Amino acid sequence: MSAGRAHDRMVGMLLIDQLVKRHGTRTVLDHVGFEAHPGRVTAFLGANGAGKSSTLRILLGLDRPDGGTALVGGRPYRSLRDPLRTVGSMLDGSGAHRARTARDHLAWLARSNGIDRRRVGEVLDQVGLASSARVRVGRLSLGMGQRLGLAAALLGEPQALVLDEPVNGLDPEGIRWMRGLLRDQAAAGGTVLLSSHLMSEVADVADDLVVIAGGRIVAAGTLAELTAGYDRLEDAFFALTSGDGGARR
Amino acid sequence: MSVTGLLAAELRKTVTLPAAWAGIGVAVLGSIALTVLNAVTTRSAIDAGTPERVANTSAFEAAFAAMPLGTVGAVVLGVVMISSEYAANAADAGGGRQITATLTAMPRRMSLLAAKVTVLVLLVIAVAAVTLPTTVGIANAVIGGAATETVTPEQALLRGLGGALYWALTGLIAAAVTLLTRSGLIAPIVLIANNSVVSVSLLLTNLTPLAHWLPDLAGRRLFAGMDTVDGGLAAGPGALVMAAWTVVFLIVAAVVFRRRDA
Repeated sequence: MSAGRAHDRMVGMLLIDQLVKRHGTRTVLDHVGFEAHPGRVTAFLGANGAGKSSTLRILLGLDRPDGGTALVGGRPYRSLRDPLRTVGSMLDGSGAHRARTARDHLAWLARSNGIDRRRVGEVLDQVGLASSARVRVGRLSLGMGQRLGLAAALLGEPQALVLDEPVNGLDPEGIRWMRGLLRDQAAAGGTVLLSSHLMSEVADVADDLVVIAGGRIVAAGTLAELTAGYDRLEDAFFALTSGDGGARR
Repeated sequence: MSVTGLLAAELRKTVTLPAAWAGIGVAVLGSIALTVLNAVTTRSAIDAGTPERVANTSAFEAAFAAMPLGTVGAVVLGVVMISSEYAANAADAGGGRQITATLTAMPRRMSLLAAKVTVLVLLVIAVAAVTLPTTVGIANAVIGGAATETVTPEQALLRGLGGALYWALTGLIAAAVTLLTRSGLIAPIVLIANNSVVSVSLLLTNLTPLAHWLPDLAGRRLFAGMDTVDGGLAAGPGALVMAAWTVVFLIVAAVVFRRRDA
């Protein structure tokens, strides 16, 4: 491997190590650690409230951990120059103000990170929102809001994508399209980290799985490793998250 | 992330927000409407031969009496620039808030806040640069030679600059309070009501002369001539006290913003 490729691998690598987060006396994250690698789709699985969003928010520099580190290509997110060019992310829908149009939302994002204005039209096309570019965000459906969030994530042509529940609100066609897009990103050498509370949702797209329950990582490995011995993916998921393995054949 | 990129992004974000235009509209169009009303009242009093019906017949004073509307506009701008970051989207659109997008794009919080403050001050200056000459021009056109101007051009310029400074400082305090509370309600209720409906600070001066050191009263003489009460600080020291309040509010908001989870 050349030095250049080694560098590319570093840039998109996501490393989460010993993260601890407390809200008052409640421990939300208890020494959470895992990696997401370039060229692979990593699914971060857990029930609602298990700690998925808390982990991703710390990775993206939104929240502060009480311990541990989260690094993007070896650096904390907050120290990235033009972060949208390194990591594209989506949390809680589009993150666009409801009174602004989709195009205006993407335009200020592009401006903030020195991204060519031309990319705004390109990503709107890519996610199928070209005809809604001038619609106010408050009038978009949940599925269209998700597409706008994804457009924002893709804007800076980043090496890594971090997506919280990306298929929420998408119709079956949208889910199929999203899977194709994530696979393409990984095939092109990108890192993809997506969270989900449904194993069946990610089974067709993920290479690696990381399972979190009650703020602790309970399993991590390739899809084949973690699902071996179970008839159904959901059985594997519930066995792993309940910690008893009872559904195993 | 360049400084110009940050500034351009924040400016663009503000001018594509309809609520920001409501603030600008109140300041510009509201001031013009009030000036027309004042000037017409003054003119008709002069024409009727009863100039004593109005406080004075100066065209500048007729325009300058609309200044409080500029304060309201600055407060609205300062508030919506921050509250729009924390307004939740509809639950069926993911329920997200813009602050997530803002901080993932611009994670250096002190630079982000500096950019917001700069954009707010620039917009207030722009609003003042449009509003003051326009309203003074309108008042002059209506009243014209019917009365003798009692305010010299130097005084007019100084008071215009003082008024614009008062707008900017009030807008910054509004932005800082909104950032602290993450709510677009508290700052406008306190600042707009206090400026336009009933001045609580002014009532407080009846209880203690210390109330003259509150930010709004300290800066009151920046408007020089709006001498509703005697006493209190002179324009220069008053401006310094008000500016000091503004800096304190901004520093507290910045420290909290830097430490807190988004």
